[in-house]
Amino acid sequence: MTIANLFRRGELAFLPGQWFLTLAGLAAISLASPAMADADSTFSINGFGTFGLARTTSDNVEFVRDISQPRGIGQDWSAKIDSVFGLQAAWHIMPQLEAVVQATSRYRYDKTFTPDVSWGFIKYNPTPNLSLRAGRLGTEFFMMADSRWVGYSFLTVRPPGDYFWYLPFYSIHGADAAITLPFGDSVLRAKVFYGHSDGRIPLADEQWDIAGSPMIGGFLEYQRGPWQVRASYANIEFKNDLPIAPVLKKAVGGTLSAQDAAFLATHDTRTHYYSLGVVYDRGPWQAQLMLNHIEQGSRALQSSDGGYALLGYRISEVTPYLGYSWVLSKSSGNAPSALAAYVMQDSHAEQQTMFAGMRWDVARNVAVKAQWDGIRGEASSLFPYRQDNRARWDGRMDVFSLTVDFVF
Amino acid sequence: MPLRRLILLCSVFWLLIQPAAEVRAELVVVVNARCGVAAMTRNEVINVFFGRNRQYFNGVEAQPVDMFDNNPDRGRFYSLLVGKDLSEINAYWSRQVFSGRMQPPAKVGSAEEVLKWVVSHPGGIGFVDLAKADARVRVVYELTP
Repeated sequence: MTIANLFRRGELAFLPGQWFLTLAGLAAISLASPAMADADSTFSINGFGTFGLARTTSDNVEFVRDISQPRGIGQDWSAKIDSVFGLQAAWHIMPQLEAVVQATSRYRYDKTFTPDVSWGFIKYNPTPNLSLRAGRLGTEFFMMADSRWVGYSFLTVRPPGDYFWYLPFYSIHGADAAITLPFGDSVLRAKVFYGHSDGRIPLADEQWDIAGSPMIGGFLEYQRGPWQVRASYANIEFKNDLPIAPVLKKAVGGTLSAQDAAFLATHDTRTHYYSLGVVYDRGPWQAQLMLNHIEQGSRALQSSDGGYALLGYRISEVTPYLGYSWVLSKSSGNAPSALAAYVMQDSHAEQQTMFAGMRWDVARNVAVKAQWDGIRGEASSLFPYRQDNRARWDGRMDVFSLTVDFVF
Repeated sequence: MPLRRLILLCSVFWLLIQPAAEVRAELVVVVNARCGVAAMTRNEVINVFFGRNRQYFNGVEAQPVDMFDNNPDRGRFYSLLVGKDLSEINAYWSRQVFSGRMQPPAKVGSAEEVLKWVVSHPGGIGFVDLAKADARVRVVYELTP
């Protein structure tokens, strides 16, 4: 169980106590809730989930939902990459004070579906339009990044990969503040967050530990009627190096020289994330345009530009949609050796994806979706995938997906 | 002869649909009469019911109340306000809840309970049929098709 992971690192020493109190409090109140069912103190349990099947038309790479997944899928139908189950307990202690714990089970860095405590925080609203949270929090690097796994909440089968592959970060241990400023009938919202990231990112059979890497960011959002525009910025300073040496040893039998290791270092490098999103949502129409730019501090990872456009139109219970996404990364500097060049090639992405699908709201709080993705890229586009066969991969494949999403 | 019959048929049909049109009364947004809000625009109503803005212009906290899915007024309200199906409204709230941003407004089952909520909360705001709005609440927005 992952609560154990919380205790793993010394710098998180302040958290276990807080966690214990939160969980104990929630457990106590869930037992006592019938007696406390008054208007001011409410306890609620909600859940979400997806059962998803997907396959591709190529066995030369494995397709993943994002790079938090160690292995992906090929030509055989698999429920691995999109299936998820989440449960949330929220306790409104007082009108201004709320405690939330959310656990999620999905295919994760260690190839298991072991549940993770995705969020666990205390939220305090000193005024109705000011929200302060502290604990384990979801990060909104990009618009909708903190609800990426709640399939029922969006139109597509999964968030467009060319935009979200690069984001294996899900939570921080820290705090955030969000303020809402109404101007006439429009609303301006600003949010800032700071914390230490938490988690591991798989790399071949190894894992890159990103725990303790400080992360800071925020966004400014404007909403009026059906329009929503958001600009956001965040950065992370990595505290550890990528586990390149053990991966290389296994993959090509090579040893990483000190010179290469220094060239490819990620520790103490900072990566910057910029994004801009525009959403239109009114009547039967839903449209989104998102752009991002990622500036990598390490030469082991390539800076990139990505984006997507999505358009959906609801006809009764069925919403067909059409979209286009892209990602292009740029190499940074000349590799000092063939081995370093091999590693750098691994972080290259250069592809476009056409996608089309249908969401069918088949019953109350249940949606069935089917989607086709046509990935058309260069043979050098390796970063979004796992287990690439570089000699045979040509950058082109189709992905077929079927999901059932629900909330309760 | 056939024309007369057609006119007769149309008249009967017209009479038949009359009561139905009367039953389908106008939906209005009402607030607690003492909260100091006299009128709202459609975007302001959207902001409050979607949790984007939790305060009225005068600083009073907005306390919206929603209805359960099985009450037809809920579907009519969101359809008239933003042209959305209830599945889309529920999808919106699932994003807010599971991202940890906020919980949806409380839900009640009948117009009487909506009025009760609005009257008992200083910043209460809800939606009811115009005919049900009494002196304890103030109509601040009329939903027109």
